[in-house]
Amino acid sequence: MNSAVEQQIRILGHKDFKSDYKPVWCAGCGDFGVLNALTKAMAALELSPENVAMIAGIGCSSRIPAYTTVYGFHGVHGRALPLAAGLAVSRPDLTVIATGGDGDGFSIGGNHFLHACRRNVNMTYLVMDNSVYGMTKGQASPTTECDWTGSKLSPQGTHQPPLQPLELALAARAPFIARAFSNSPNELARIMTEAIAFEGFAFVQILSPCITFRPEQLGWKKRVHDGFEPTDDRAAAFAALAEDEGFTTGILYRAPRPRFAPDRREPVDIGAIEKRFEVRS
Amino acid sequence: MSPLTDLGSFLAHAVVLEDEAATRYRELADAMAVHNNPDVEALFRKMSEYSDMHRADAIEHAEQHAGGLPDLKPWEFEWPGDESPESGRLESTHYLMTPYHALELALEAEEGAFAFYSSIAGQTGDPAIRELAEEFSAEEKQHVEALKKWIAQYPEPPENWDDDLDPPVPVD
Amino acid sequence: MSENPDNQSTSELSLALVGSGGAGVMTAGQTLLDAAAASDYYGLMTRATGPQIRGGEAAAILRLSARPVECQDDRLDLLVAIDWNKAERFADELIVDDNSLVVADPGQGEVPAWITDSGARLVEVPFDALTREFRGARTNTIAVGLVAQLIGLEGRDVDATVRRILESKGAKLIEAALAGLELGRTAAADLAGPKRLERRPEPVEPRWLITGNEAAGLGAVRGGVRFCAAYPITPSTEIQEWLAAHLPELGGSLVQAEDELASINMCLGASFGGTPAITATSGPGFSLMVEALGLATQAEIPVVVVDVMRGGPSTGIPTRSEQSDLDIAVHGAHGDAPRLVLAPNSIGDCVTTTQWAVHLAEALQSPAVVLSDQRLGQARAAIAPPPSRDWHAQRKLAGNDTADYRRFTDAEDGVSPMALPGMPGGEYTATGLSHMESARPSASGMDHRRQLDKRRRKFAQFDFGKHWADIDGDGDLWVLTWGSTTLPAREAVARMRDRGHAIGLISIRLLSPLDTEALTEALRSCRRLLVVEQSHGGQFHRYLRSHIELPADTHLLARPGPLNITPGDIVSGLEELTLEDAA
Repeated sequence: MNSAVEQQIRILGHKDFKSDYKPVWCAGCGDFGVLNALTKAMAALELSPENVAMIAGIGCSSRIPAYTTVYGFHGVHGRALPLAAGLAVSRPDLTVIATGGDGDGFSIGGNHFLHACRRNVNMTYLVMDNSVYGMTKGQASPTTECDWTGSKLSPQGTHQPPLQPLELALAARAPFIARAFSNSPNELARIMTEAIAFEGFAFVQILSPCITFRPEQLGWKKRVHDGFEPTDDRAAAFAALAEDEGFTTGILYRAPRPRFAPDRREPVDIGAIEKRFEVRS
Repeated sequence: MSPLTDLGSFLAHAVVLEDEAATRYRELADAMAVHNNPDVEALFRKMSEYSDMHRADAIEHAEQHAGGLPDLKPWEFEWPGDESPESGRLESTHYLMTPYHALELALEAEEGAFAFYSSIAGQTGDPAIRELAEEFSAEEKQHVEALKKWIAQYPEPPENWDDDLDPPVPVD
Repeated sequence: MSENPDNQSTSELSLALVGSGGAGVMTAGQTLLDAAAASDYYGLMTRATGPQIRGGEAAAILRLSARPVECQDDRLDLLVAIDWNKAERFADELIVDDNSLVVADPGQGEVPAWITDSGARLVEVPFDALTREFRGARTNTIAVGLVAQLIGLEGRDVDATVRRILESKGAKLIEAALAGLELGRTAAADLAGPKRLERRPEPVEPRWLITGNEAAGLGAVRGGVRFCAAYPITPSTEIQEWLAAHLPELGGSLVQAEDELASINMCLGASFGGTPAITATSGPGFSLMVEALGLATQAEIPVVVVDVMRGGPSTGIPTRSEQSDLDIAVHGAHGDAPRLVLAPNSIGDCVTTTQWAVHLAEALQSPAVVLSDQRLGQARAAIAPPPSRDWHAQRKLAGNDTADYRRFTDAEDGVSPMALPGMPGGEYTATGLSHMESARPSASGMDHRRQLDKRRRKFAQFDFGKHWADIDGDGDLWVLTWGSTTLPAREAVARMRDRGHAIGLISIRLLSPLDTEALTEALRSCRRLLVVEQSHGGQFHRYLRSHIELPADTHLLARPGPLNITPGDIVSGLEELTLEDAA
């Protein structure tokens, strides 16, 4: 990686962010596109691997940290956001990126999603949404269509309308909300770059087809279209979502607001704190 | 900064096109290794080595360009589609794919590169860019021809090639 | 103790105030404790309350003494009732007898049967009517004035304490409170008290006024904790509040999480980044944290959880103590997941043991659970400052030479050097999956076994020193206990010694890993053993038996909450043991 050309075109450095672990993902999985885009985004931002931490829960997409060369934490199911928040609050010098799938983020971890949006800790949350649980053999997830009968666990469909992650994020006051598509890795890299650079909680829903359990999602390619224009007006963002059928991409909402910051006080030493316990007569 | 009008941009496109092709083939080879499909893995590995060689050629060309190369962001490249044209399409892969399918995927990629360079050669007004684009498109043309011959050595797989005799298993 | 109740002068006495509907008995109790502390006494105040958020019946129970004291006596010398509303709730723990004095407002309800039947001397003081003597005077300050006068606390210490507590409330309120104190003193003038505290003891400086929950917070920051995430839950919330106030002064931070799943995971995130972290909770919250504690074990992330135990299972009795979380603290995990479990055995020890827990968790890259309980956590005491210990968060970190760094390298002592984000060359992905030395996930039996062995080895090889237990005494008669029941056990042992028995006491501080060798050695001379614990199922006793052979003549005093085990209960248990032996 030393030729003049390689120094001039910085995204050639994206390979520095890819580990030599072979992903366990199925051939053709949309998550390969996400990994590709993510490494490009990190190269474009000129991050150093040691200063980035990728935090994930459980699921196909949650395996992504180990496929990069940055610090990673592959925790328990649904808890990527709290892990990431603890790290980001205590280590504001790091770039913290939480990742996971629709089951991890919107089902078992759904409560954390709402509060991460509200709390607005400086971090990025990338959800690879394929509307299915891949690692347990293809059950319906919160974003699965109500009439999908492809799972033995809900052979007659879920009878529940799919959750709308962008609407939730907007309602819960996330200051940066976007949607992108794994098959357009360069555009995805652009949105990721903006999300990572954003000062605060940045949420990106990434449509990432599951070739194994939802092969019909390969047809998303034809349905996905750009169309969101970044706005800082909540009403305009809600209006855009009212028109959206789930396949509009782009940055929907970008409205910086004060980030979560821990309380700060005049520093004192522990001796002074202990003195306050002393009996005064 | 368009590859049609700026030589540096054109060369950057050429380098990244081959770089991404190599990366993709490597990724596909790794995936086939994971799925225990060694024949196709070997084939993709081979393709990635070819792309590495082409990448080195492209860098050599680029280094001779005194003006230096622009540092384009991934989304600033002007590709005809969602990705650089020589990157094998992810969605065309399958864990049971045969060498025939792998070569078809590669053929599609090489044809993409050929079309990209031909289109630039036809549209650019810059003689230096045209010259290089013609040279590169001729090379891609050779790759296309070679692949066609290669494919011809493989019989077309039967219709039931993707029958899933080992359905997916739960892993997490 | 009250061996000689006829003596009007004493070095120690016990009293309680009851009242409801916002009568302010807790404030009154704290005023008396703080004033006694200012008069160089030691003392303890515990609280008992009804389930209501506001206006509930409440009792403040105090013991004041010239010597260190952290346990309530079996009985009261003095009980003051501002009213009797639902006071029967406390009949089991406010024990009065014919040596006790009960002061009650005749206009505030009928005297309950448990009082009239006790033989206690009953006198009437119209607290409510007295408030009309001075505009703004309150019944609770009148009660404080009365009690202070009866037991002989110095007026100026009481006045100064009231001024300090009301500092921010303005001159008018202070004036009314001082007038109330005076009304109380006047009302007491004609009364014969049960006892008077004898002359001011020799000043011991400094002494601290502190609750167990505050002490746990202090222990955490002494150990180096600089991050806390927590979700409010009784009776642990005061730890969280104390840390919220003090971590920012030390450059640390606190996050109020959305639930306990979040709080423990936030702590793991912070600790993964190198910041020593703690959370505080109680049983229901601890139950939610169990999965993440397994992750901390597997990924070897230090973290400390203080479980301030309350009655269980489920919501149980949120405001009262029990020692029934031992099982879940030690064994609450799927998979083979040994972890550190420690228990403080006094209010002051909440500082020391929590500090030690931080030190051990960091040194061993392991989760540590500190089992405090409501009895320790919410009691406020005047105590000698806990000793300063050289226990700090010292994690074994990867050095600069990170070539071929392997996060979970099979280190001889079981502790693999840890890389922190920001260290170039140390990049790895922490994981809850079984893994190789490199941290790469692996389902191989050999890798699984190697890491299990390594994690067990780090406990086996670590030198925990002599702090694993407090051992006092010798002979063939012993009491073996842990945590807050050590308080009554100490006092019971002292009483038995006063009666001429040779008796020893072991209070186990490090419950897991249990130092079975040292425990067996400590019990070498023991022939008769009383195991004391506040749990219905005898969790501690079962735990001990799963590790060592106990003497054949072992009795178990295991009782669930919410009633605290008293020194008298333990003395009875010991008498049974010795009588049986004699027979």
